[in-house]
Amino acid sequence: MKDNRFYTPDGFVDLTPEVCAFKKECENKLHHLFSMHGYQEIETPGFEYCDVYTSPDFVEETELYKVCDQKGRLLCARYDGTIPAARFASTILKDEKAPLRLSYIENMYRFNQAGGGKQNGFTQAGIELLGAAGSASDSEVIALAIESALSTGVKDLQITIGQVKFFDGLMKQMGIDEENAKAIRSALEKKDFVTIENIANAIGLSEADKDTILLLPQSQGGMELLEDFGKKITGSEAADALNNLREILEILDDYGYSKYVTVDLGLLGSVGYYTGLIFKGHTYEVGFPIISGGRYDNTVGEFGRDMEAVGFSLSLQLTITALMRQGMKFSKAAPDAIIGYDESINGARLAAVTLAEKMRSEGNSVILDTSSMTEEELNIYADEKGIETVLYMDNGEVNN
Amino acid sequence: MLTIALSKGRLAEQAIDLLEKAGYDCTAAKDKSRKLILEDKNAGLRFILAKPADVPTYVEYGAADVGVVGKDTLLEEDRDLYEVVDLGIGKCRMCVAGPAELKGKLDQIPNKRVGTKYPNITRAYYEGVKKESVEIIKLNGSVELSPLIGLSEVIVDIVESGRTLKENGLDVLETVAYISARVVVNRVSMTMKADEIKPMIAAIKKQVEIRDSEKEE
Repeated sequence: MKDNRFYTPDGFVDLTPEVCAFKKECENKLHHLFSMHGYQEIETPGFEYCDVYTSPDFVEETELYKVCDQKGRLLCARYDGTIPAARFASTILKDEKAPLRLSYIENMYRFNQAGGGKQNGFTQAGIELLGAAGSASDSEVIALAIESALSTGVKDLQITIGQVKFFDGLMKQMGIDEENAKAIRSALEKKDFVTIENIANAIGLSEADKDTILLLPQSQGGMELLEDFGKKITGSEAADALNNLREILEILDDYGYSKYVTVDLGLLGSVGYYTGLIFKGHTYEVGFPIISGGRYDNTVGEFGRDMEAVGFSLSLQLTITALMRQGMKFSKAAPDAIIGYDESINGARLAAVTLAEKMRSEGNSVILDTSSMTEEELNIYADEKGIETVLYMDNGEVNN
Repeated sequence: MLTIALSKGRLAEQAIDLLEKAGYDCTAAKDKSRKLILEDKNAGLRFILAKPADVPTYVEYGAADVGVVGKDTLLEEDRDLYEVVDLGIGKCRMCVAGPAELKGKLDQIPNKRVGTKYPNITRAYYEGVKKESVEIIKLNGSVELSPLIGLSEVIVDIVESGRTLKENGLDVLETVAYISARVVVNRVSMTMKADEIKPMIAAIKKQVEIRDSEKEE
């Protein structure tokens, strides 16, 4: 058998101390941000029964990392934060008064999905606002998504927002059946004009309807775009969806965040459970969205408690990759000081221990040498590690 | 700066031709040296010449913002991309081919063996369209050989004129898909570099329309 002990599995990486230190710093900021907005952090086990994800099919079974428990029941590694949070809210928190505000920062495991930039294991930070409908809730989640990205140091941020119901309503208005709507939807996901036009021709849409559908893949903009499309809409479902987007833009303007936001009426999302707002966050230098979110009103109910829900997640891996490629330098996380002592001198160790504790209590990170280095060796070591202060306890120091 | 991935070969030349007509300075891309990255800072364009099957990968990961590649490769690679323009060049068909006597009798052969360079397209076709289990045999070239020598009953391959098939006593039995070259765009670039990419798409589309209308006349 091939010896794999030297390698990390495909799609998984080790983090160096520098990256790890930066990642922890981001996690702390995100945790702080979420809790300052009243979001309580939860932790889910990391493994779920496969049924949690597959009945009904929230995700493709083939994307789950599966293992069996001792009784032969199928388990899977945590795929995302949303579905376990929905289960959590419906069971453990079933008697808690809504709305619920939950957050998580955890590792996710997927087979080769874009969520982690083609990584199979990656950390996501996210929130779920449960039991709250309406544009104000949607806007809060988008605003927090923006603040999350900004807090990690991302400056060039673009959020695109779309509305699943707008598309559904439009299809109904045009009398397009479910099967064809599905085909148009998947072509629209790829902005595949060719296929959209072929389908439109095949089902004999009117020229006006055809033009409207063909406009969708290139419909990015702001209020004016919503106005334009508003004129083409007769059904209430699509009109409500446009109105939702209009309100979100207005509310985000109050937050001062509308400059980050573009409407994309062709944005539908590959995840099937979204029922309204859907959004993605992009920055330079990574080819995958760093933020993904939306409204999923029919999901929590599948676990027994009917609740509207909206949330987002930010991929820390992708964010860090983007920041690195955008030129951010990660400082080596060197301790502030190293203290050594001359073992042959009575009281030197006590002096070293006491000094180390004192300095730590003042907020300095201090290594207390345990390998009997001489003062000279300590200096060489500190130089190499970038430790600024070297203290050595010998005769003079002890007597002082 | 936009990075454009081109499929090495004739398709790259045709794509460059179209881009020039659309008003983009592609002098850099016409460099006949063996360089793989051809950059023109003034034009704001950087071209990379890649193996066709790799173009969707470069674009999906965002290493290239835009790519020009055949629909056959797109179908086979099944990458998460925006597919925005049909250039109408490099036209051909993806077909099931085999001995002419099998025409109309394909469904009678259970557990067919299918030789192909395109295992994913073949699987999608037989599972999604034909609802049939087949044994797929991955080959890397001269696929026509396989039914002749008894490695498989049929093949799934690109057919342009059909001459190679005819000369080997084979015939087109079913059409899987119509193929032509497409412009693909990375999902993030479409948003982050909208100011550069959208005008480019519009200019290319316009050129394609002009060319097609000239053809009709």
